Amino acid sequence: MFSAEYKQELDKITNKYEQKRAALLPLLHKVQDKDGLITPEAEKDLADYLELPVVQIHEVVSFYHLYHQEKLGKCHFAICQTSACALRGAEDIIGYIEKKLNIKAGEKTSDGKFSLETVECLGACELAPMLQHNNDAYIGFLDKKKIDEIISKQK
Amino acid sequence: MPLLTIDGKQVEVPAGTTIIQAADKLGIDIPRYCYHPALPVSGNCRICMVEVEKQPKMQIACYTPVTDGMVVHTKSPKVLEVRKTVLEFLLVNHPVDCPVCDQAGECKLQDYYMEHGQYDSRLSNVKVKKEKKAVSIGPTVMLDQERCILCTRCVRFADTITKTNELGVFERGDHSQLDVYPGKQVDNKYSGNVVDICPVGALTDKDFRFKCRVWYLAQTKSVCPGCSMGCNITVEWDKMRPHQHKKARVMRLKPRLNPEVNNYWISDEGRYNYRFIDENRILHPQLGDSLITWERAIDTIIAAIKPLKDAHKTSRIGVIASAQLTNEDLFAVRKLFKETLSGALVDFRVPQKPGFSDDFLLKADKNPNTAGANQILNPEIDTAQIIQKAKAGEIDVLYVFGQNLVSLFGKDVVAEIAKKVKLLVYQGSNINETCSYANLNLPSSVYAEKEGTFTNCQNRVQRIWPAFTPLAEAKGDWEIAGLLSAKLGGSVNYQRSSDIFKDIAAHVAPFAEMTYEKLSDQGLVLKV
Amino acid sequence: MEKIASRHFGVENSHHLDVYVNGNGYAAAKKAITQMTPAAVIEEVKKSNLRGLGGAGFPTGMKWGFIPQNNPKPKYLVINGDEGEPGTFKDKYIFELDPHSLIEGIIITCYAIGSHKSYVYIRGEYKKSIQRVQEAIDEAYKAGYLGKGIMGSNFDIDIVVHPGAGAYICGEETALLESLEGKKGFPRLKPPFPAVVGLFGCPTVINNVETIACVGPIINKGAEWYAKLGSEKNGGNRLFCVSGHVNKPGVYELPNGTTLREIIYDHAGGIPNGRKLKAVIPGGISAPILTPDQLDVKMDFDSLKAIGSMAGSGGIIVMDDSTDMVWAALVAARFFAHESCGQCSPCREGSGWVYRQVKRFYDGHAKEHDLKNLPGIVNNIGGNTICAFGDAVSMAVGSYVSKFRHEFESKMKTSVSV
Repeated sequence: MFSAEYKQELDKITNKYEQKRAALLPLLHKVQDKDGLITPEAEKDLADYLELPVVQIHEVVSFYHLYHQEKLGKCHFAICQTSACALRGAEDIIGYIEKKLNIKAGEKTSDGKFSLETVECLGACELAPMLQHNNDAYIGFLDKKKIDEIISKQK
Repeated sequence: MPLLTIDGKQVEVPAGTTIIQAADKLGIDIPRYCYHPALPVSGNCRICMVEVEKQPKMQIACYTPVTDGMVVHTKSPKVLEVRKTVLEFLLVNHPVDCPVCDQAGECKLQDYYMEHGQYDSRLSNVKVKKEKKAVSIGPTVMLDQERCILCTRCVRFADTITKTNELGVFERGDHSQLDVYPGKQVDNKYSGNVVDICPVGALTDKDFRFKCRVWYLAQTKSVCPGCSMGCNITVEWDKMRPHQHKKARVMRLKPRLNPEVNNYWISDEGRYNYRFIDENRILHPQLGDSLITWERAIDTIIAAIKPLKDAHKTSRIGVIASAQLTNEDLFAVRKLFKETLSGALVDFRVPQKPGFSDDFLLKADKNPNTAGANQILNPEIDTAQIIQKAKAGEIDVLYVFGQNLVSLFGKDVVAEIAKKVKLLVYQGSNINETCSYANLNLPSSVYAEKEGTFTNCQNRVQRIWPAFTPLAEAKGDWEIAGLLSAKLGGSVNYQRSSDIFKDIAAHVAPFAEMTYEKLSDQGLVLKV
Repeated sequence: MEKIASRHFGVENSHHLDVYVNGNGYAAAKKAITQMTPAAVIEEVKKSNLRGLGGAGFPTGMKWGFIPQNNPKPKYLVINGDEGEPGTFKDKYIFELDPHSLIEGIIITCYAIGSHKSYVYIRGEYKKSIQRVQEAIDEAYKAGYLGKGIMGSNFDIDIVVHPGAGAYICGEETALLESLEGKKGFPRLKPPFPAVVGLFGCPTVINNVETIACVGPIINKGAEWYAKLGSEKNGGNRLFCVSGHVNKPGVYELPNGTTLREIIYDHAGGIPNGRKLKAVIPGGISAPILTPDQLDVKMDFDSLKAIGSMAGSGGIIVMDDSTDMVWAALVAARFFAHESCGQCSPCREGSGWVYRQVKRFYDGHAKEHDLKNLPGIVNNIGGNTICAFGDAVSMAVGSYVSKFRHEFESKMKTSVSV
């Protein structure tokens, strides 16, 4: 259940739009930033708050790549595998991380510390090969050394 | 109004009409999956693309409005090629389940595939696997996600017709999956309709699952007897394999289009209420514990009634008719009991608890012909009073048409009446508790075995047709009235139900000038 | 050469309001709303030959002119910052380094089309961009460049930043509107077009970030000046994004009409490790691939269309002679398969099918009939779909198949008979 205070925070976003429903994408980001994932409960709460059928919330959550229904690792690698990054060795980087962490792309380590996914173009081809770290910083010109650094920082 | 040409044929239609609607008017069938006349346009299947002269690209017929002077080609080589293309794409991942799929024989993928000759396969890959194959998503519906071609008709139905929003399309690309919201079910009162509109075997009916191949089915037009809405239906019955299904004939009911009554839809309550047609029927006339002939049954009744007629004591005859009877049956009852046996106490109204109703197709009155019964019988006495008189010993013959007196008035009342009256006749199609109290049980036909008419709550008179002959020794209600009338010098003497209807038109003012031809298969409203 | 869209990129703290104002910032906006009529602004932009720099190259002034002025509904300006086209990264620089130039362009554009509300749709992964643009908007509100009665006039305007959530298809303008309205990014059936029925059913202009960022300079320096730069029907400069096998990947602002050869060799430092150029994508992954003999093409919308490709988003991806072209086709096909929205049958099933078919070649499982069928399978998607994504799959992947057919053939011949 959304508390009254939380609803007021959501209102700040919703009030920017001419139609309540249009606030759904930023609201989902807000919920995910807070909880780390989108839970079925959050979907229902948002459905009530926006007065929408809950199935339509779930459709949106499952359609867009950035929303997850499971928590990511504490250190999350999203490696770009498209055009320029592919040309500049993304496959090797992916293979290296998979071997080092002993997981395949799309998985999370059993201790929950690391997760890895391959994604399509992140709009940073000039930094190829690159990844987005924890859905935040772009880290480019990747090589094995840089990967080792990031991993050891988290360990 | 725009005038356009489709495949060389001209048609004039109101502005705003789409090409596919104009083509339908001309009887030109443009293939369609996602388009449905009662649902918002989606335009995603792309199989209805047609060539429009002066347009560089092909247009989808379901969405493009017609313009004056437009020239459309629906069978040009380009159009036929693009249909093959779309079919090929739909078959990339569609599992060829035909041998085990209920939709076979009425599947739009099969039909268009055969029509457009997409015979040579270029497919050499493994098909995309989806999560749910043959999973129940509600009390009436089975889902197979792999067969789904994502036309979204069912989603639009749940959003705009029932407004229950159970269904959605999740994920994206060729991993898109049609599903219910996790934890939800398609359990609204009209759930069966999604199976009708699904063009393939993705949504199938649990009740019909694996029951009968559709090419064994015959279709007969009728009207649902479940309530006073009178939704138009088609009775679908097995004409080729009568030895299967434990001799049941009716396999399913389907809604029949009537824009004035139920449009394309029917409630689940009506749809699944067909088993009584074949199960639990009264099969033979029965006197006490013995099965007897019709001749003896009629003689038994006459022996009780004629003396009362001759002695001018017809007021000792009580008749509890029923709004389940057709107009024709009711007119015969009127002629027999209110004219020949004038003085008999006749009513049809019973203290039935009103059933579930909503603002769509379900009405509280669970009888198909209350309006007709009111017009034709025009009762002067209440059933409750007849029952009272029977309890007080003032009734010698109580003639009951299909009503279950035990559930209406209670076991004790019925037991008392059974002791007091000399002859308790139960004339009905199915066995109920009243039968064991009746002296004489007569088997009558169900609606699916009758030709006749019902009058719905809009005062619309609608025809029903017989799918098959009455089961075992059952007879039509007006036919039985005729047998009795003959022995009483009465006037119920008909060979055909259309003759009865002619008489109704002549003698019951609101039916004036109606004929079966005029009623056609959509009905006409009474003049009240 | 005079820089327009990237003129502030090297300036320290260029994203701050005071730095922007110091560099003549918001003068164009003031000029437009105090000295010009909206119609005059549209006319100026028409004359400048500014064309949409998101990918379609539609004349910007003409697009603005489609907004019906006698329609009582509110009008919207939507900035397409989804920047999902592989090979493209220029709008990110405008967001992070010069957000005020975008805001100024928005003010002028809204004034021209009669809109008082603009949404800036920024792809969800661009966290820094979203932050910078929001900060710049906050600064602008505080200083009276946004809000009610801006800069002492009676013109009201509001801007809202809206984050995307990871779907390339939301770069398609009607899918973007759906996403902005809180739904899945399913492109809409057209007509009606957004100019008549757009956001919330109201007349809407959707323009790319860079396009709008050029509007201020056009108003300041005049249409003639802008039109003289660039090609005959393609005025001004453009931010070309160069990546892949080049020594200096990055953003390069150059006049429209500069040759591809010049961009790659004179500006981006040519091919590293002494290798030769084998193929190059000229305008984002949706653009048909070019071969070395086509390097002298002028990089503008009309010239590239004439040789069977497109200027697109300006994303130039260079491939050297170590590149396996079947693999390159696979990377492209995989992208399209992941990003298809799934709404219409040809693209939904076709994009996955094309990927799996190309993979058969890459894995060495392809047979004779696969090679024979491949062009037909690829070509059947385009022309039959709700939006141009289907066309992109056909044209882009199709270009690898037609221009490098011999590589597909050789992959086929090395397969082991199964």
